Amino acid sequence: MPYSAIFKEHLAHPRNAGELPNANAIADETNPICGDRIRLSLIIKDSRVETARYLAYGCPPTLVCGSVLTELIIGKTVAEARALTRAELLGAIGGLPSRKHHAAALAIETLNAALQPQINAD
Amino acid sequence: MPSRRVYLDNSATTPVDPRVAAAMSRAVVETFGNASSVHGFGQQARAAVDRARREVGTLIGARQNEIVFTSGGTESNNLAIRGVCEAAAAHGRHIITSAIEHPSVAGVCTELEKRGWEVTRLPVYGNGIVRVEDVAAALRPDTVLITVMLANNEIGTIQPAAEIGSLVRTQRATGHKHLWFHTDAVQAAGRLRLNVEELGCDLLTMSGHKLYAPKGVGALYVRRGVRLHGQNVGGHQERERRAGTENVPGIVAFGEAARLASEEFEQRSQHDRMLRDRFETAVLDRISDVVLNGDREQRLGHLSNISFRFIEGEGLLINLDLEGVAVSTGSACSSGTLEPSPVIRALGVDDELARGSIRFSFGKDNTEAEVDYAVEVLVRAVERLRALSPLTLVGH
Repeated sequence: MPYSAIFKEHLAHPRNAGELPNANAIADETNPICGDRIRLSLIIKDSRVETARYLAYGCPPTLVCGSVLTELIIGKTVAEARALTRAELLGAIGGLPSRKHHAAALAIETLNAALQPQINAD
Repeated sequence: MPSRRVYLDNSATTPVDPRVAAAMSRAVVETFGNASSVHGFGQQARAAVDRARREVGTLIGARQNEIVFTSGGTESNNLAIRGVCEAAAAHGRHIITSAIEHPSVAGVCTELEKRGWEVTRLPVYGNGIVRVEDVAAALRPDTVLITVMLANNEIGTIQPAAEIGSLVRTQRATGHKHLWFHTDAVQAAGRLRLNVEELGCDLLTMSGHKLYAPKGVGALYVRRGVRLHGQNVGGHQERERRAGTENVPGIVAFGEAARLASEEFEQRSQHDRMLRDRFETAVLDRISDVVLNGDREQRLGHLSNISFRFIEGEGLLINLDLEGVAVSTGSACSSGTLEPSPVIRALGVDDELARGSIRFSFGKDNTEAEVDYAVEVLVRAVERLRALSPLTLVGH
């Protein structure tokens, strides 16, 4: 399947790229097989994702998943963000070929890793 | 669709030359006879095929009757390797090849390996070039075939084919009579001056669509005296080496493309090299942390393979494509498994560089303005992707 218009738009204009110096939730996950990597930094205030930034290395779906993920979680409560699924992320991107679904899995895994300390603290 | 489109993937395939398309179009309509038929329509087709055979032979300094038309480079490589190995099986089952062959050579070698042949794959070192002394050291009494490409399809490095050919001739003269030398010249034909006598090769592969002919036609040069088992059987075409009604329009197109490649060789070579050098100079000047892959001297003049640190090739490729610039990468990420380019890996570079390699290949229809546009797009895309990359963080 061809990449969607949403996918191309995010690839050409990534949202929320970078690193938050004052983040209070950070995760950096790598797919051990292909080497794709996503680094997520969040500011969580009053159990809500106030802002998010991401960095990514790897194939285009990984870069785009990071970008779309940040848009999906900003403003959400930690519980809402934690409930985000791979399928929802794929839907927001406009779908990916099945061989590229690992990119969405890595993004969700990184999000969960960043949120886990918050969930444990709550 | 981007407003501007620049095709810099001429090593993957070339646009069909309008003169070639015109010759092919005429053949489709006017030369429809079966070249095996004895009547006038058939003889008209036969004459057209023979003319094309002369032109393709001339491009590489071969006799007309040493050219076998096929469906393309992959079939030619299959025919050469399987054909020679099967014909020479009684004399030995050892093949020498390089670590950077095209999949249509590497795959056939692997297939033969499963059927009991032994394969020695020679290293190419940091410059992407096989050493003749390694070829000599790998020779065994049961070696029946050396298959080493003339120029690599990803990095363009030119292999020492003439030296290998000379080694094979010496071996044959001293008693190793069933040793043959095949070279895949798909990337080199039309881009290097080739002469099979000077190369000393016994078989040489060519493909039409790499030199401005359409897809679906190729050729294999088979030196007189080489024993070859045909792989397509069931007809007498191509001197029993490739059964099947000839693709007359495709062959006519290939012949015309070969004629033009011979005629315009100097101007095309100079043009491609000028564009390649203009591109590389600008890239090296404007983008940091880049590595040019492969030997800087012994390489094709139309191709540049560059690794960009901190970013991955496929992301760069699609970013360029979004702005209309078409290039290629040898690496592929699929189902969560990264397959870095085997060619770039064979150079001994690290994973990051192997993942970040891009091939830019220029052709006769490209212009300086297109190269300049591609550089602008590339600079922006690299900046954008590097701004995203965690590998740029200190101590990443």
